[in-house]
Amino acid sequence: MVAIPGADIPVVHTPADDKPGFWARWFYSTNHKDIGILYLIFGIFSGLLGGFLSFMMRMELATPGIDVFSSEHTYLVFVTMHGLIMIFFMVMPALIGGFGNYFLPIMIGAPDMAFPRMNNLSFWLLPVALICLLISFFVPGAAEGNGFGGAWVMYPPLSTTGSPGPAFDFIIIGLLAAGFSSIFGAINFITTILNMRAPGMTMHKMPLFAWAMLVTAFLLLLALPVLAAALFMLLTDRIEGGTAFFDPARGGDPQMFQHLFWFFGHPEVYIMILPAFGIVSHIVSTFSKKPIFGYLGMAYAMVAIGVVGFVVWAHHMYTVGMDVNVKAYFVLATLVIAVPTGVKVFSWLATMWGGSIRFTVPMLWAIGFIILFVVGGVTGVMLANAGVTTYLHDTYYVVAHFHYVLSMGAVFGIFAGWYYWYGKMFGHHYNGFLARLHFWLFFIGVNVIFFPQHFLGLNSMPRRYIDYPVEFEFWNMVSSWGAWITLASVAVFFVVLIEAFLMRNKRRVGNNYWGEGATTLEWTISSPPPYHQFSVLPRIDAGDSDPHEEVDEAYARREGDSA
Amino acid sequence: MKKETTQEMTRNIKTKILLATIAIGMLSLGFFSKTLYDTFCRITGFGGTPVLAMNEDNLSVVLDRSVTVNFDTNVSPDLPWKFEPVQRSMEVKLGQTGLAFYTAKNMSDRPVTGVATFNVTPVKAAPWFVKTECFCFTDQTLQPGEEMTMPVLFFVDPEMDGSERHDDVRDVVLSYTFFVAEDQPEEAEAAAATVQALP
Repeated sequence: MVAIPGADIPVVHTPADDKPGFWARWFYSTNHKDIGILYLIFGIFSGLLGGFLSFMMRMELATPGIDVFSSEHTYLVFVTMHGLIMIFFMVMPALIGGFGNYFLPIMIGAPDMAFPRMNNLSFWLLPVALICLLISFFVPGAAEGNGFGGAWVMYPPLSTTGSPGPAFDFIIIGLLAAGFSSIFGAINFITTILNMRAPGMTMHKMPLFAWAMLVTAFLLLLALPVLAAALFMLLTDRIEGGTAFFDPARGGDPQMFQHLFWFFGHPEVYIMILPAFGIVSHIVSTFSKKPIFGYLGMAYAMVAIGVVGFVVWAHHMYTVGMDVNVKAYFVLATLVIAVPTGVKVFSWLATMWGGSIRFTVPMLWAIGFIILFVVGGVTGVMLANAGVTTYLHDTYYVVAHFHYVLSMGAVFGIFAGWYYWYGKMFGHHYNGFLARLHFWLFFIGVNVIFFPQHFLGLNSMPRRYIDYPVEFEFWNMVSSWGAWITLASVAVFFVVLIEAFLMRNKRRVGNNYWGEGATTLEWTISSPPPYHQFSVLPRIDAGDSDPHEEVDEAYARREGDSA
Repeated sequence: MKKETTQEMTRNIKTKILLATIAIGMLSLGFFSKTLYDTFCRITGFGGTPVLAMNEDNLSVVLDRSVTVNFDTNVSPDLPWKFEPVQRSMEVKLGQTGLAFYTAKNMSDRPVTGVATFNVTPVKAAPWFVKTECFCFTDQTLQPGEEMTMPVLFFVDPEMDGSERHDDVRDVVLSYTFFVAEDQPEEAEAAAATVQALP
C-alpha cells in the first residue's frame, strides 16, 4: 500500500481549525484526537492505580506471613480490583480508546469518527465507571470487611450470597457503564471503518492497525452484551427473594455463570491483544524499512483469531467436571488458535528478515513484545491441555502465563505505540536515552516478577492467597524484587514525559520523523496533526493502477447495470 | 457536497442501527441462555442431567451386563438435616429396575422443607439413567426430629449397551444435594409470626 506523499494532501487552515476554549475542548469534546488523548490520560491514571494495587500485593507476598495487609479480605479486594482496573480501565482505554480514536480515522483517511458525540459519551462513561469501582473499596462487601474480594471473574455464590453488601453492586454498575462505553465505542469504530475510508482505500489496502481495530470492535460488540446480561442476572440474583439464575437450591446453575462469563472473558483477552498486534506490525515494518510480510495473511490471521476466540471459552473451566469429549473439543479448538498466532509471529520475523533494522525505542518495545508474547503463548499452549491444567489450574503458573501475554504483551504494545506516535501526537521528541532506560528497566523488571512465578506454579502454589508455606519464599522474594525494578521504570517513564515536555521547543519534529519506512497516512500530515485533518480527502492507490481508470470502469459498470 | 454528506450520514446511521441490533441480540441471547441451556440439557442429558421420561418399552428387556450404582449425598450448610443413603452401592443389570433408599432426619426443633437436586456421573451415562419414582420430584417436609426413608426407583436403559462410547461404563454415581426449599411449612411461618406478634 502506498500513501500519496504529504505534499499532495493540502493542509488547509480555516477558521474551523481554531480550538475551542479549555472547558469546551476537553469536556464537551467531539474531536477524535482530543478524545484519544483523554483516553490515554485516563489509561495512565488507571495504570498507576492498578499498578499500586499489584505493588502492595507483591510486598505482602515477599515473605511468608501476613505483614502488610490488615486482613485477608483486604488482600483479596486488592487482587480483584487490580484485575478489573487493569483490564477495563487501563489496557482497553489506552489501546482501543486512546490509539484507536487518535489514529484510526487518520490512518484510513477520515476527517473524524462516524459519531463524534457518541464518542464523547463512550469516554465520559468511563470515569463514572471508575468512580463506582473506587466507591466499592470503601463500602461493606462481605462479613469480613469492606470491598468485594471475589476476584475479577465474579463467580457466584461468592458474588451473590457470599458478598451481600453494596460493594459488589457498585462493581456491577461500574462494569455495566464501562461495558456500554465499549459497546458504543465498538459501534463507532465499525461504522467508521466500513463507511468512511478515503477514496481508493479498499478493505485490502487498509493499514493493519485498522484491521486490528475492526476485529477488536466486532469482538467487543459480540462479547460485551453477554457480560452485561450475566451482570444483570447477578444483580437480580442478589436481591433477596429475587431470581435464581445461579442458585442451585432454586433450580439455578452456578456453572452457567462461568459459561456466560468466559464466553465474554475469552474474546476479551483478544480484545486486549489485537490492537497491540496492529501497532507492532506498523513498528516492525517501519524500522525494517520493508512493507509488512504477508499483509493479507496478517489481516486474516487476526480475523481467524477473533472467530476461533469465540469457541474456546471453556478452557478456563477444565476443572468444573466437564465430559471428557467436551474437554477434548476445547483442547483442540484452543490449540488451533496457535496457528494464526504463529502466522503473525513468523510474519513479523519475516518482515525483519533482510530488512535494514533500526533499533529505535518503539522498535525495542515491539521486539520485546514479540519475544515475551511468544513466551506467554508457549505456556498458553501448555495450559490449553486439559490434563495439564487439571494440575496447574489456579496456580501461579496461570498467573505467569496471562501476565506474559497481558502485562508484557498488551502493555509492551501500549508503550510501543506511545513511543512510536509520541512525536505525532505532541509535536516533539522524547529523550532517547531516558526512553531506552525505561524500556530496559521495565523489560528486566517484569521478567524478574513473572518468570519465577512459573516455578512457583509448577510447584503448585495456588493463586489468590495472602500467605504461603516457607518452601515458596525464595522465588516470591525474587518476584517482589522485580516489582521494585518495575516501580523504578515507571518513575523513569514520568521522567521521560517531564523531560520531553520541558524540552518541547528544542525537539520539534516534522511530518514523517521516522523516515521512509513509515508509509501510513498519519505520516503525511503535520505533527501534531491539524485540529481537523483531511478537509480534502486523500486518494489512495495501490501504486500499480491508475485511479482514473478505476473510476471510469466503475462508471462503465454502473451504466451497464442500469441498461 | 452537502448532498454527499447527508448520504454519508444516512449510511452511517443504517450501519449503526444494524450494529446496535447485533448488540441487543447478543444481550438477549445472554439472558435466554438459561432457557436455551436447560432445554439443551434436558434433550441431550448434557452436563449430567438425568433423563426423567419413562420409556416403558424397554422395561421388559434385561441384559446380562451390569453396572454398579453408587449413592452419594450432600446437604446445604443452611439445612439442618442429616441425609444419607441406606446402601452405599448396588449392582443392577441393564434394564433391571433397582430400588434404593435414603434417610433424612431433621436435626432442628422446627419443621423444615427441603428440596433435592441430583446429577449422574459420568455425565455421558446420564441420558441412559432413568428414574421412575423419586423423592426429588417434590418438596419434602420433616417435623422436628422426624426421620424419613425415601425411595428411588430407577433403571439403566439397556439401549446403552448398543453405544460403543459407553462400553467402559461400569460404575455410575447418583448424587443428591438437599437445599432449603423456598416454600417453608405454614406452621413454622405461623409460629414465627406468633413470636413476632407477641409483645
